[in-house]
Amino acid sequence: MKIKNKYRLIFTLCILTLSSVQPIYSSFIDNSTKINILMPAPFADSTKDLIDQFNKENKGDINIKVIRGPRETESVSDLAISSLLLGNSPFDILMIDITWLPKYAAAGWLAPMDRYISKRDWDSLAVGAKLGNSYKQNLYRWPMTSDMGLLFWRKDLMENPPTTPIELIRIAKNLVEEGKVSYGYVWQGRQYEGLSCVFLEVINGFGGEWINESSEVKLSSKESIQAVSWLKNLIETGITPRAVTNFSENEALQAFKSGEAALMRNWPYAWAELQKESSIVKGKIGVSTMVAVEGEQPTSTLGSWGLSILSSSKNKEVAYEVISYLTSLNSQKELFVNYGYTPTNSQIFNDKKLREAFPVLVELQKALEQTKPRPEIPLYAQVSDVLQRQLSEVFTNDKNIKEAMLKAERNTNQILLSAGESK
Amino acid sequence: MIILFLLPAGILILLVFGVPLIRYSWLSMHAASVVTGLDNIPNGGANWIRLLNDMRFWKDAWQTVRFASFSVSLEVFLAILIALLLHQKWKGRGILRSISLLPWALPTTVMALGWRWIFNTPYGPIEKIINFMGLNPLNILSNPKLTWLSTVLGDVWKTTPFLALILLAGLQTIPDDLYEAFRLEGGKPFQAFLKISLPLLKPYLFLGVIFRLAQAFGVFDLIQVMTGGGPAGSTESLALYAYLNAMRFLDFGYSATIMLASFILLVCACALSWVLIYQSKNIYRVYNS
Repeated sequence: MKIKNKYRLIFTLCILTLSSVQPIYSSFIDNSTKINILMPAPFADSTKDLIDQFNKENKGDINIKVIRGPRETESVSDLAISSLLLGNSPFDILMIDITWLPKYAAAGWLAPMDRYISKRDWDSLAVGAKLGNSYKQNLYRWPMTSDMGLLFWRKDLMENPPTTPIELIRIAKNLVEEGKVSYGYVWQGRQYEGLSCVFLEVINGFGGEWINESSEVKLSSKESIQAVSWLKNLIETGITPRAVTNFSENEALQAFKSGEAALMRNWPYAWAELQKESSIVKGKIGVSTMVAVEGEQPTSTLGSWGLSILSSSKNKEVAYEVISYLTSLNSQKELFVNYGYTPTNSQIFNDKKLREAFPVLVELQKALEQTKPRPEIPLYAQVSDVLQRQLSEVFTNDKNIKEAMLKAERNTNQILLSAGESK
Repeated sequence: MIILFLLPAGILILLVFGVPLIRYSWLSMHAASVVTGLDNIPNGGANWIRLLNDMRFWKDAWQTVRFASFSVSLEVFLAILIALLLHQKWKGRGILRSISLLPWALPTTVMALGWRWIFNTPYGPIEKIINFMGLNPLNILSNPKLTWLSTVLGDVWKTTPFLALILLAGLQTIPDDLYEAFRLEGGKPFQAFLKISLPLLKPYLFLGVIFRLAQAFGVFDLIQVMTGGGPAGSTESLALYAYLNAMRFLDFGYSATIMLASFILLVCACALSWVLIYQSKNIYRVYNS
């Protein structure tokens, strides 16, 4: 019995020693620089080939490790913020959404990238892709894929997509009345960030603004009221199902994919989804920009994901090397061809071969030229939250439009005032 | 001597509950947000003044109280019925006891996502049935008058088994002799329930209600997944509001203030349930004398 115990002790000690030596040993032979990137799950999957290739080419020097974050945008932010708050974040690079940038930069989490970027790099970006990467004159992010609101339309049901709000109502209403579709137009009406994106396009389309360049909130303007009334009217006349007030991108896509809707507002990812075999409307889809009243430019809300270096990273130079690889011309081409990610480099949009193979590229370029970012302030999340709540009140609770928008404007002003952003 | 024995537990409780509470109280007296560059700057109770004037806080407080009181009372009612049923001796009782725990064992986010699809318009089964009967769609998840009820339903479905389990344990501690003697004296079964089971279940009932109230007051995952606080903010709970302030708005001072305020509300609710469960007779007596 005693002997048995002795052996057991020796065995345990051996294991313990080995396990403590192993990491030292492995770090001794592998002295490559490790770069950790946090990405939302879909991006982690689609960049896997590119990253494997990079790791193979740079074996012994640089090793990229991708941490597969959650699927949903805001959950990725929660994860990143938790790690940043605790200090000593394990990540070197974050893949960030356009709306997080001012907040993260103001919190001091991001390292400025200006010194890495040459004028040539900057000039290579498409017009819309240049927006939303800076905060207080410093560049904090390099865009990886553009994203902008698009109007998807059914080629088998109409000759041309509607270009004005009135035209959209006329076309959609007719199609519903003729019984060709159950819904005329589906969009994102749930109380969440997507609703703010929808609204930005509509208010701009009516010639109004959410927050103008001199930080004035314009939510109770005539144009804003017209925009809200138009959206509400869509629901009341049945052109848009009442259920839209709980639709996010997925539900809208579901309705459109199953052929139940004639028009849909969504992001470019939907294009790839609609080309799949499971899509009833495959090959019958056109892409256009959001409607605008005559004399006004149509607007696409700018989405876009990019890569930022964390200020806590010990290998910023190497991290930039990784970013420039992942956003290189080749990487962008690969991601566009295989996964439908909208490029940021203007060369790709002008590539004749690609334009022939993917006619949608023309429409994407057009939309990217008309993009508008959401208000670029650290308190954007609050400001957007206020708007979402009031719009949801109007759509689901029959709140008076004027009253709701006045309240949204007042609350937004309070928030801006508290941050010293208002004049 | 006895203090010595209580010390380890005392220290543990202090570390787990005391430290966060002190930290939150401290934080609630500071401006600590993205505006201050995440530095903590004392602001002399400005967070509390803001809270008192924040209509959204009061609306959420009311919604949280409404959610907690509706779901906990429904759960108590159903749990008593279920506990009584599972306490009876009949064939297959063992299997049913295990099955009845299943909802409680499921992760909340998973079942919340399930409910979201069940209540979905137009694809969910409930709307399909309503459509089949030729009625107008209810739009359950986008109708502020209905949505909160659907969250109550989700919560009741999930947590009733937990309460039933506690009550079942309570029922098993009541000796059978009491019921027998009561029957010999000519008592009816329902009277036995009122005169024996219910009074003797009180400690268990109180314990279960306290547990459930604490959970229901802090409801977050269910709401976040099912509705995200919408439509029109009609299902937003205090925990969700505090979360938004901390994680989305990066305003930690105000978030701590909301959490503390909701803690105070919870203590009040627990005190109220103690009065209701233990002192109902005394109140009744005083009131009628």
